[in-house]
Amino acid sequence: MAEPLLSASGIETGYGKVQVLWGAGIEVAERQSVVLLGANGAGKTTLLKVLLGLLPAWGGTVRLAGEDITALRTDHRVRRGLSYMSEIGVFTGLSIAENIRIGGQFVDSATLRRRTEELFEIFPDLAGRRSTLAGALSGGQRKMLGIAKALAAGPRVLVMDEPSAGLSPLFVSQVIAVLGKFRGTGLSLLIAEQNVAFLDLADRVFTLEGGRVGFSGTVEELNADDALHRAYFGLA
Amino acid sequence: MLIGAVLSGLIFGLYFTLVGLGLNLVFGVMRIVNLAHGDFLMLGAFAAFWAFHLFGLHPLVAAAAVLVVFVVIGLPLYYLVVPRLQQARDAEMLSIILFFGLAQMIEAATTIAFGTSERSIPGRVLGTGPVMLLGQRLPSAWVFGAAVSAVAVAGVYLYLYQTRLGRLTRAVMVSRDEALATGIDVHRVSAIAFGIGIGLAGIAGVFAPFMLGSVTPAIGPEINVAAFAVIVVGTLGNPLGTVLGGIVYGVSLMLMQTYLSSWANLLPNLLLIAVLLTRPEGLLGRKVRRA
Repeated sequence: MAEPLLSASGIETGYGKVQVLWGAGIEVAERQSVVLLGANGAGKTTLLKVLLGLLPAWGGTVRLAGEDITALRTDHRVRRGLSYMSEIGVFTGLSIAENIRIGGQFVDSATLRRRTEELFEIFPDLAGRRSTLAGALSGGQRKMLGIAKALAAGPRVLVMDEPSAGLSPLFVSQVIAVLGKFRGTGLSLLIAEQNVAFLDLADRVFTLEGGRVGFSGTVEELNADDALHRAYFGLA
Repeated sequence: MLIGAVLSGLIFGLYFTLVGLGLNLVFGVMRIVNLAHGDFLMLGAFAAFWAFHLFGLHPLVAAAAVLVVFVVIGLPLYYLVVPRLQQARDAEMLSIILFFGLAQMIEAATTIAFGTSERSIPGRVLGTGPVMLLGQRLPSAWVFGAAVSAVAVAGVYLYLYQTRLGRLTRAVMVSRDEALATGIDVHRVSAIAFGIGIGLAGIAGVFAPFMLGSVTPAIGPEINVAAFAVIVVGTLGNPLGTVLGGIVYGVSLMLMQTYLSSWANLLPNLLLIAVLLTRPEGLLGRKVRRA
């Protein structure tokens, strides 16, 4: 079996003396869309921070394309193809164009110019407002800009933290539709969410409960498990 | 008399913009309060004094040298102090204590080395005779100091808005966490901003003997109060708001010195209290981009 593009295994970490993750692990294969489901406080953001190098791992290993990146700084991970869209996602005091340029800070200028135009084709709402401050955008538009900013780096894996946070159902469906465009392209997606609507994008699902991975499998396998189905879909 | 006071105020406003700019840049990027800012300015003044009296160096040459030296000093000083500070729970408060200590050390060392005498550089070094402006006679040293200040402020603007590093600096100012998540080397960006911050204080110091008349090793706290008034009026953390704060401070100072001279020394404190009571976010707070 081919080695996953991004993997974390046995991750233990926390804040101060409070341990949050207890041997958590996750795998994202090439061109795969993975959804990490979990309730508030389950440790989703913490796991993503470890993947990105924003929080040190007390134990365990993070690998990208076979390379152990556990000790690498975030900027080196971004250069290697890992891109992160946090819940904030954008620099509110900077313009749309500046946000995208910062997202593509490690890309040469010719490639970044070309990629920026491609991104404005994908996100036409942003194209006519390049000098508008990100802080002046609606919540949905900020998410779109956050995605565009993260994609400007030309990542192999796009890691997203709760892209539905703070959005109305209409905007959530728009975000899902945009992300759907990247399924099957060269891009792998890892989406941490508690909104099950994102399972439409998932090739594989992981659930995180109390800092431990509870389930790993396909959406169909998740649906087949009554207890999990009730827990995440809230249905009898 | 009014026109003269306002013109002088604008000139001093530009200078006080330079005095506060570095402090505001450091606060905006790192959210730490560099209470040694006034002492770095004082060191710049003493560097200019000795450069002139020992080697006959023009203040403009001294300013360029001071900028380079202070930026170079600022980089290791940042890495020695700031990352540790930022790991603390209350980094802002700890920074006040730490930089207060550093300020005391700088002042004491300078006093031991050079004594407490007032030092000055003849104004004629920056041009002889007054400059006529709108029918008002202004000392050429003031106009020169203001012009250098304007160039330095423009340089900072160009750095922040026209360079890649400046864009990254503004990103860190907007959100340090988001900057880290985007892969920005926050410490590198912050270290350069710290170096530039004390470099700007150094340049302001070079022209302090001309703008303030003379300097002693003890001027640091007084400069800090003026710098705080400028940046609080102009909005903390917004370097370009410093321009507005500087102009308001400079014009108010000159109007006070013209019409209420015995009260003029109270001005920084009065401005600070007035702004904190009526508009604590500063005159430009929330109405313009933060970075």
